[in-house]
Amino acid sequence: MATVASKLYSDDVSLLVLLLDTNPLFWSNRSTTFSQFLSHVLAFLNAVLGLNQLNRVVVIATGYCSCDYIYDSSLTLSGNSESGRTGMPALFGSLLEKLEDFIDKDEELIKEQEHDERIASSLLSGSLSMALCYIQRIFRSGHLHPQPRILCLQGSPDGPEQYVAVMNSIFSAQRLMVPIDSCYIGTQNSAFLQQASYITGGVHHAPKQLDGLFQFLTTIFATDLHTRSFVQLPKPVGVDFRASSVFGQSKLDGASTVSDKKRKAPDS
Amino acid sequence: MPQVKIIAKNFMDMVASLTAIKLDKLYNNVFICEAILRSLPPLAKKYVLQLLFIDDPVPCTRIEEWVLPDGLSKHRVAIDRLIQLRIFTETVDRREGTCFSLNPTFQNNLQKHIISGGVLPREPMNSSNGIKLPSLQELETYALQQWECFLLQLINSGQGEKLTGISSSMMKVFQRGLLSQRDRDGPRLTESGFQFLLMDTNAQLWYIIREYISNAEERDVDPADLISFLLELSFHVTGEAYNLNTLTDVQRTTLKDLADLGLVKLQQGRKDSWFIPTKLATNLSVSLADSSVRKEGYVMMETNFRMYAYSTSKLQCEILRLFARIEYQLPNLIACAVTKESLYNAFDNGITSDQIITFLQQNSHPRCADRVPSIPENVTDQIRLWESDLKRIEMTQAHFYDEFPSKDVFEGACNFARQWGGLLWEDSKRMRLVVKSEVHNQMREYLHTQGN
Repeated sequence: MATVASKLYSDDVSLLVLLLDTNPLFWSNRSTTFSQFLSHVLAFLNAVLGLNQLNRVVVIATGYCSCDYIYDSSLTLSGNSESGRTGMPALFGSLLEKLEDFIDKDEELIKEQEHDERIASSLLSGSLSMALCYIQRIFRSGHLHPQPRILCLQGSPDGPEQYVAVMNSIFSAQRLMVPIDSCYIGTQNSAFLQQASYITGGVHHAPKQLDGLFQFLTTIFATDLHTRSFVQLPKPVGVDFRASSVFGQSKLDGASTVSDKKRKAPDS
Repeated sequence: MPQVKIIAKNFMDMVASLTAIKLDKLYNNVFICEAILRSLPPLAKKYVLQLLFIDDPVPCTRIEEWVLPDGLSKHRVAIDRLIQLRIFTETVDRREGTCFSLNPTFQNNLQKHIISGGVLPREPMNSSNGIKLPSLQELETYALQQWECFLLQLINSGQGEKLTGISSSMMKVFQRGLLSQRDRDGPRLTESGFQFLLMDTNAQLWYIIREYISNAEERDVDPADLISFLLELSFHVTGEAYNLNTLTDVQRTTLKDLADLGLVKLQQGRKDSWFIPTKLATNLSVSLADSSVRKEGYVMMETNFRMYAYSTSKLQCEILRLFARIEYQLPNLIACAVTKESLYNAFDNGITSDQIITFLQQNSHPRCADRVPSIPENVTDQIRLWESDLKRIEMTQAHFYDEFPSKDVFEGACNFARQWGGLLWEDSKRMRLVVKSEVHNQMREYLHTQGN
């Protein structure tokens, strides 16, 4: 990754800004439902928060024509006392509520718009900008801030009309030295995401099986920036195809074990 | 500060040294698993997460593939740690060689924790009971006050107007190793005592807690219970009240001691009594891992060897007095100067220049910390030079040999001393020899045999 100026990280405290693709036009015809996908993601967020007491997580939902902040782990710590509010990974009650409200609002906006000509892409440029604004605020808050990175969980195809805005965000992230990781769960390739990860020094991966999503997320994307300097992670496409062989056969077996456990968990 | 680091980390070593049965019992508690996960080095955390949902043992070679070549030393440290804490169990498979799998209790608990979160064994009390909770700011001031008062009493600076409730026998336990009793002068700080003062708060806290737990066995309290209660405490919410009747007797006595240290605040209402954890308690699990210090500094060092500390704390003033001369104290500022005499004083007491420089760097004011280097180079160089001044002469105990009967005997003696690695100086013209004291006895026997 020769294009990225490297930064020295002294510890593994991280701020993870997750851009969650909630585009209903994408999720309406997938084999994995959005709620199954969400259970993987929530477990992953719990894992990240559990790694270090000072870790923080922010979730921004990327809709079809709008995006919004859904969850900020640091906000739930302070504030007035309510039952069930603790400093540990909670059941993300507020996250789910806000997500529902957001999706409802997004669908209303879709109905109002004419969208026959447009590809069913999600508003990636919008959520990238929101993420970068939040990170800039963190940088200005003083010395003791966690190391931020952005993770894009995207399935919708790229929208060419967003090209300029997305590239602007990517270059801003590069200047801020904030890596953009991307996990693409759609069918076609996403050139935006690949470019974003390559330019900013993040990791790009497109898992083939959504059943094992939790395992992919914790193996690759839970790695904090300090550890990345000595751990094998998927290299940019075209340079090294070691990405698939890093996990090997036993990992795929492990992935199916994950899926069994993950499917059982929400019911039990 | 290599020696001090070992003291701070020793809490996890103490946990690791518990017997296998006790460790497995500890892992039944979800919060202990979480706290121990947080205390691992970052690479070990990654390994645990990756193997969390995998049931079959994973070959060691497969795990090594995950790391880049220059990370292999970190890999070994991580694996050693995991085996020490019995999180990884080693099995040998005929085909695959050494394999690792996660401790099943640990694995189950962590899986449940990640999927559904955890519930503390006690709920915060309802604020409608007429409980007046102190604000977070008041709580922090209280905690700081208690802790400083405790430290001042610990180092016996004679200024402890407000005595803490800790019994003198308990104090003696803490002071063991930090203070030495001299009959004539009264207790003086030892070398480790000085190093202790220069450590950051969390490391000091863990040292005190470690001493407290090692002493627990003498008081018939199971160390594993104490450890689990302390680690659980770090998951409570700062500023929330928890009823005392949810605790066992042992935990209640422990809490009283912890209140003296500033970890919790005890309050009593009409019917109930409760405790409120402070930031010191909830930050316990943060400092378990070997991460860098994250706190606001207060010291500004100038190139003319003057130091300004924005602090009003008596304890910090005492710490600065260890190696600097306090010039004057203003309501919010302590002005000091680092001089040769003050540094020589510090070196005499066993503090090294590295400790002083690390202390200054870790506690430098945010404005200074932005600069690279945060302490001016001429100051750090001069501190090191003054330390090396005291080390110009190296002394070795030796014996001096003179008046050899002949040259041959002298040459023989020289060779003998050289073989034993004890030859320090020789003068062939006048046949004189200086030999290390350790070799002296063998030298004498050799010369006797030569004489006969």
